Amino acid sequence: MGQIIAKTTKVPSVETLKIQSGGLMLMALIVIGASGLSAGNYALEVGFQFLLLLIMAEAWNLMAGYTGLVSLGTASFVGIGGYTLVGLMNRFDASLSVAVFAAGIAAMVLALLVSRAVFRMRGLYFTVGTLALAEALRMFMVNSDYFGGATGIFLAKDSPSLKALFWMAFGVLVLTTMLMQIGTQGRFSVLLRAVRDDEDAAAQAGVRAFRVKLGVFALSSFLIGLAGGLQALKLGVIEPYGMFGLQWTVNVLTVVIIGGQGKRFGSLVGAVLVVALSEALADYPAVHLLLMGFALIVIIRFAPQGLAGLLERTFNRRAQGGVK
Amino acid sequence: MIKHQCEVDTTVPASTPLLRTEDLKKSYGGVHAIQGISFELHKGDVCGVIGPNGAGKSTFIGLLGGALSPSGGRIYFEGNDVTRLQAPYRASLGIGRTYQVPRPFLNMSVMENLLTAQFALHPLIGAGEAKAFCEEILERTGLLEQKDWLAKDLPLLRRKRLEIARALAIRPRLLLLDEVGAGLIDSEVSELIELILSLKDKVDSIIIIEHVLRVVRECCNRTLVINFGKKIAEGPTSDVLASREVAEIYLGNAANRHSQSVTESPQEQKTTSPVGVLPQAVLDDAECLKPSEPLLELLQVHAGYGQAKVLQGVSIKVFPGSTVAILGTNGAGKSTLANVISGVLRPTAGQFRIDGKDAGLSLPYERSRLGIAQCQEGRKIFPNLTVEENLLISTRGLTRNQRLDRLDGIYTLFPDLHKRRHDGGTAMSGGQQQMLAIGRALMARPRLIVFDEISLGLAPVMMDRLYMALMELKKSGLTLVIVEQDVARALELADEVHVLEHGKIALTGDARSVKHDPRLKSLYIGEAIA
Repeated sequence: MGQIIAKTTKVPSVETLKIQSGGLMLMALIVIGASGLSAGNYALEVGFQFLLLLIMAEAWNLMAGYTGLVSLGTASFVGIGGYTLVGLMNRFDASLSVAVFAAGIAAMVLALLVSRAVFRMRGLYFTVGTLALAEALRMFMVNSDYFGGATGIFLAKDSPSLKALFWMAFGVLVLTTMLMQIGTQGRFSVLLRAVRDDEDAAAQAGVRAFRVKLGVFALSSFLIGLAGGLQALKLGVIEPYGMFGLQWTVNVLTVVIIGGQGKRFGSLVGAVLVVALSEALADYPAVHLLLMGFALIVIIRFAPQGLAGLLERTFNRRAQGGVK
Repeated sequence: MIKHQCEVDTTVPASTPLLRTEDLKKSYGGVHAIQGISFELHKGDVCGVIGPNGAGKSTFIGLLGGALSPSGGRIYFEGNDVTRLQAPYRASLGIGRTYQVPRPFLNMSVMENLLTAQFALHPLIGAGEAKAFCEEILERTGLLEQKDWLAKDLPLLRRKRLEIARALAIRPRLLLLDEVGAGLIDSEVSELIELILSLKDKVDSIIIIEHVLRVVRECCNRTLVINFGKKIAEGPTSDVLASREVAEIYLGNAANRHSQSVTESPQEQKTTSPVGVLPQAVLDDAECLKPSEPLLELLQVHAGYGQAKVLQGVSIKVFPGSTVAILGTNGAGKSTLANVISGVLRPTAGQFRIDGKDAGLSLPYERSRLGIAQCQEGRKIFPNLTVEENLLISTRGLTRNQRLDRLDGIYTLFPDLHKRRHDGGTAMSGGQQQMLAIGRALMARPRLIVFDEISLGLAPVMMDRLYMALMELKKSGLTLVIVEQDVARALELADEVHVLEHGKIALTGDARSVKHDPRLKSLYIGEAIA
């Protein structure tokens, strides 16, 4: 039967993937950690931005790449995280660790509160709905005196040292990696991807799609909230245009699309590339934007699975070629 | 002959039916798809559901499976009211369903498609146990070899098997099968029947929606007939199929036909069918019209997907005004050939000529300008456009009068489309969508039109109407290439027949001689067994 031998993509079993990706991720963490040990101020600065971007990209990839929830509301959770941290530290004199943790929790609560509304919408409508959420929150913050209005709020305490910030971000990354490892490898990922590929058919197979989506949305928002808290801590001053800015959303999306949606290493590959490119072209912002836009177009057109997908395919082809 | 359901006394728990519906209703806007069906199913029942396209059969399954919520009435599963229970919870009770158009998780492996249900319903199950269980299902459904394939790499018929396998993976007690037999050739239907019969002791009860009557006849002890959302008849399968009312609304010609299989070689008689007498006359007509120049010519064409070479040197000539049928088993390359003709797929070797000019590399839209149209397998209706917009899509650049004129032609051919012209393209039933697909192809006024499996999933009576329409088209001088599972119908219509086997033409000739050629039988039966 002709069609039976049709071209196929053989998928390695879940177990091998789990072990391989787990090992590689661990190696990546060790490399990042080791380079942090000996880094100077410039490297720590770049490293901190890299870590935040990577955390948010991982969280976003879990939603968009694995569960099919393409959100443009990243900024809302960054912002909520940041405002929560500053508010708690200023008004309630909260300790650093409590404030950072609370930043994540606040973002998660926001996610749970809006979930009923945004999950009523599917696909593109969900995407637009989350975008509206971020914009609405920003407008609210701009107009709210209690939250400092358009001028924002200063953090009453001194920001921790760059080195401390780096290690805090590294800690959040380790947490993110562990959660991602559970969420994207093994049995839980099967449920996520089933919801992504066909929500109705998944429900028919017994998957409680609403709960799965809610869990992923909450988890992802928690991580983004943590990152937002750290960002506020680093800046020492927050204002709505920065914390709730569309730039967060766009950066995260760029990283994942370049790296590879639904690919375990997509965010890592993308974040390395995006940060390296922006550092290399720091003096030429126009060229930087131009190149970024160009890269996005080329990748969406020729490698919809991103660079990680491209690498994977080359790797697989070589492996298969070896057999033949 | 028609047995009306007697009211069951609910106070007797001993005979609690597995499933019971009470005055079940569903409407979409103003359309009443299901209008009060009361029905019950007992353990051990295998119940067939038949009825014309658009009768509400799939809606019925949707209501039972929990994908749709009813507008009225109640559903009881083992005596418990499950009316408001959503699909995942019904799955955990053991109600599993398949979709008429397969909806596998495309970017997951076949194995993962099955594991989903296991992990969702039994989160703590051991990985090894879950796998072994799924492997057993894959083996039973003949998909074990493809377990590591991505579902999107499976051809349509394998996807249908995957639908069954995935429904079985929830360990169902009640299995709802929605047209799993469509598009299968005889020997595959036999395999399917065997599979369903083997499930009888694993599953408490099965409901089968099916147009392939053999499946209903051989698997179902009871049959329910639905028309316009109402129960028309219910009872033992043989009684229901023998009833005159059912013959009128559903079976059509198929009631006269003993079976549509080649094995019983369709008889010459056909006095009942007004269509039967036409071909000869038209053939003579075509004979005198036939110029020396073929409209379409394929010479030693090779084509395939990636590594797989599906067509291996196919040569076919199609003369203007003739009707050519392409037959063959599943996987022989029929749809690939249709795709090569319409330009969706490029041949890797060989020559492809339209009007004697090389056109092997022309794109689908260029072919459509040359007058080649295709009516693709699986309909491909634009869901966001209305019926009329779907039809008008190929008529840009024409004057208003020309458009209306063409629309009129289509509406005369398919009055159903006129009635539904302002509805969404995919809001219609399967048969009506098929009409729309044909209508859309015709709107461009092609010279040659390729029909790829247009009878797939249609009620017999609808197939009669479609083939009548094709006969009309043929009489009007249109050149037709039909790719078909239903050998008897194809042979009735075609002038010339090519039978494909393993990507090569195994048998060619005019319809009359092929019909009696013993090789036709052996090709169909022999290959499928081998």
